[in-house]
Amino acid sequence: MNIVRGLIGGAVGYILGAALLMTIRVATGARAWEVESVSAGAWMFALIGWLLAVGVWRYWAREWFGLELVPYTTTGWRRYLDFDTDHKVIGIQYLVKFLTMFFMAGLFAMLMRYELMDNGEALLDSGRYNAIMSLHGTMMVFVAVAATVGAFGNFVVPIMIGADDMAFPRLNALSFWLIPPVLIALTVSFVSGGYDTGWTGYAPLSVESDVGGLFFNLAFFTLGLSSIIGALNIIVTVVTMRAKGMNWMRLPIFVWSIFVTSILSLIFTQFIALAMLMVVLDRTAGMVFFDPASGGDPLLYQHIFWFYSHPAVYIMILPAFGITLEIISHFSRKPLFGYKWAVGGLLGIMGMSMFVWAHHMFTSGMAEALRKPFLASTELISIPTGMIFLSAVGTLWLGKIRLELPMLFALAVLFNFLIGGITGVFLADVPVDIQLQDTYFVVAHLHYVVLGGGIFGLFAAIYYWFPKMTGRMMNDRLGKIHFWWMMVGFNVTFLPMFIVGLQGMNRRVADYTPDLVGTNRVISMAGFFLGTSFVVFLYNFIYSWIKGAKAPANPWGARTLEWQVPSPPPHENFEVPPIILADPYGYGEPDSDHADLGIGTLPKIQETVEA
Amino acid sequence: MSRYSSKAGRPLHDVVAFRIVSGGEQESNTRNRLVVVGVAWLIATVLGWWAVTAYDWHPFGASREARITDEAFDLLMLMAVPIATFVLVVIGYSLLRDRDRGQDVDGPPIRTNRTFVVGWLAVTTILSIVVIITPGFSGLDELRAYPEPDLVIDVKGERWSWEYTYAESGVQTRGTLMVPIDTRIMFRISSTDVIHSFWIPAFRIKMDAVPGIITTTMVTAEKLGTFESADELRVQCAELCGVGHARMWTGVSVVTEAEFDAWLEASAG
Repeated sequence: MNIVRGLIGGAVGYILGAALLMTIRVATGARAWEVESVSAGAWMFALIGWLLAVGVWRYWAREWFGLELVPYTTTGWRRYLDFDTDHKVIGIQYLVKFLTMFFMAGLFAMLMRYELMDNGEALLDSGRYNAIMSLHGTMMVFVAVAATVGAFGNFVVPIMIGADDMAFPRLNALSFWLIPPVLIALTVSFVSGGYDTGWTGYAPLSVESDVGGLFFNLAFFTLGLSSIIGALNIIVTVVTMRAKGMNWMRLPIFVWSIFVTSILSLIFTQFIALAMLMVVLDRTAGMVFFDPASGGDPLLYQHIFWFYSHPAVYIMILPAFGITLEIISHFSRKPLFGYKWAVGGLLGIMGMSMFVWAHHMFTSGMAEALRKPFLASTELISIPTGMIFLSAVGTLWLGKIRLELPMLFALAVLFNFLIGGITGVFLADVPVDIQLQDTYFVVAHLHYVVLGGGIFGLFAAIYYWFPKMTGRMMNDRLGKIHFWWMMVGFNVTFLPMFIVGLQGMNRRVADYTPDLVGTNRVISMAGFFLGTSFVVFLYNFIYSWIKGAKAPANPWGARTLEWQVPSPPPHENFEVPPIILADPYGYGEPDSDHADLGIGTLPKIQETVEA
Repeated sequence: MSRYSSKAGRPLHDVVAFRIVSGGEQESNTRNRLVVVGVAWLIATVLGWWAVTAYDWHPFGASREARITDEAFDLLMLMAVPIATFVLVVIGYSLLRDRDRGQDVDGPPIRTNRTFVVGWLAVTTILSIVVIITPGFSGLDELRAYPEPDLVIDVKGERWSWEYTYAESGVQTRGTLMVPIDTRIMFRISSTDVIHSFWIPAFRIKMDAVPGIITTTMVTAEKLGTFESADELRVQCAELCGVGHARMWTGVSVVTEAEFDAWLEASAG
């Protein structure tokens, strides 16, 4: 219901904004209607209209004007469609929304692989291929940036730190409800012919692209707005809402990873918004930021773009590192090895990620003197990344390893990222990069990092926390089928891409040299195999949610706080605020307890704490 | 539901056993494990080295730059093998030996190990610095070693074709790029519309064609050949530039200096 209201609000906002802009245009002597200029401005009004109508007005903004708020009465599954402020509802909203986007983008990948089964243009001509490829990249980047942080940063982090909700619950709902307009903008873009620039949208190509390109810019801009608000909320939550005794060195490593990711989002997302805005202004207002004929500079776009988009790679991968280490400790029944080094690794990656962006530009024509510093900084970032592996390897050693589903995915993250990381060292080497830049070697590398690392991490998190989120267990057998299917499909798809890249196949093409047809057929077949693995997952996900076996509070025997409350957790999570006594990794330590939940589980310890 | 106890952190018998095992026995156990891992790592590394050197990673290379680049790649591959095998062997060993086989117990509470941590950090730091120096900086210096060209070719990218102008003679072509062997060639690259990228896979050189500026790259061809003999001998656009991007290529022919001069003369006339 409120979604319909929101759509009407958005439409009204668009019309009002368009009317205002057209008035201004007429007053300044321009033609009244020009689709791009009017739409770009009206989009901002449409966003405000959508947000107000979707719930901000009823549950929040009325009080700014001294009016009574509308009482929130929605219950049951309808809460997931409403402007709900419970962090657990919002977490699930994020998860479902981004899984939907993931599967849509996956279908686009299937189309691309179908086209690439042969050289020449078979199913898609180059124009359509470019549009599908651009949309696949854009949507997958959105998923990788926001899915894990949105879903599990919201659902799990407050419980893990012993809080009853996020610091700003209404702002939290607002940041989620900015996501549907992102999908609407992408749909409008696709329907109006798409854009052929890839997700990187390099100027001046993007300035000249069709109207679909404008809506790509607006979609990215809007997602950025949501990311910034969400990141701010998570930072404030982790800083201010930790339970008594939850000092920084007792924080679960997953919370650390989400915290560090949020800092990166907060600092850097504004730069992608700026890059998008400058392209929009180039397109609609003739500001020629990137037009060399009028004094603009095409390389400027790349610097601003990668200044965000390289840290964004770490926004995609750090939550997966956090999940991986978390799961490896609980499923090895051992304390997280070198906890301080793991935290140091996360912080080190965060700090160094700010100084590596130009390694995407070694062949861009930027000053030759910049190559060495960016080569060096990029190779050095493997030191903090190594610390993550140090912690994982040390935790597994001598453990009592339980190869449950979440653990399988966590181990897969290590395996895949090992390949992704090592090939990153190759690409950071300028002589090698000159040859491999913009080839399928890069495509393989980025998929090993983002899909093999980030998305496998997302699935580890889904299998790990599904019982907590839904109160039901996922089917173990189907889960294991999905795991092996996905793992084999993934590696057989993307390992040969390194080879075709080395053999000289450049990326973002619908056509290629005939000698590569054989390998590309293998890749396509494996790609379809990988794609179908998600049918198993979807069936399991939906079926288990409705009919799965009831989950106990702590099916994995893990020590972090979210497993000490019922599945699913009650509203506001804890009966009384927990008191934290030690970090959650005291496996094998006889007298170690993570927390006193104040419900009679640990009376003696509570007394000693208070005394 | 679960096969495991849900009580968090229950320390059980074998943990206690681990603790009361006499120091000597524990040490010899650890030593045995390390020996097995060490031997497995050695074997895996040797096999890995054999595999990566037996496999031919590189397509047809026809320039001095190709030699430098391919050598850098091969060196990195040799360095990557022991790192990858180390991580895989240690994890693999743990997965085989350190499984919970239904005992429902905790592992030993090892929180850190000074030797291992310091060793790990030292090795990763040294390796990072080594790859920066070689093949990183050393390779870059080699690529820049001969900055004086014998022949200058202006390259203009334009959706969706390449135009080559031989600077001294003024000869212009949109067809095959003719280059003489063993000659230091500088390409001066520009674009009239959007960003393109001038890439010759067989030469391992790539440089973007950016509107508004002139970028340069240099090459010395060392092998004769044509696109018909090896399709890596082509100029391929490598930066997405719109609908004709994939087809924005021309062949490259490496010819002897005499042939080149003859061609130039014929074209100029």
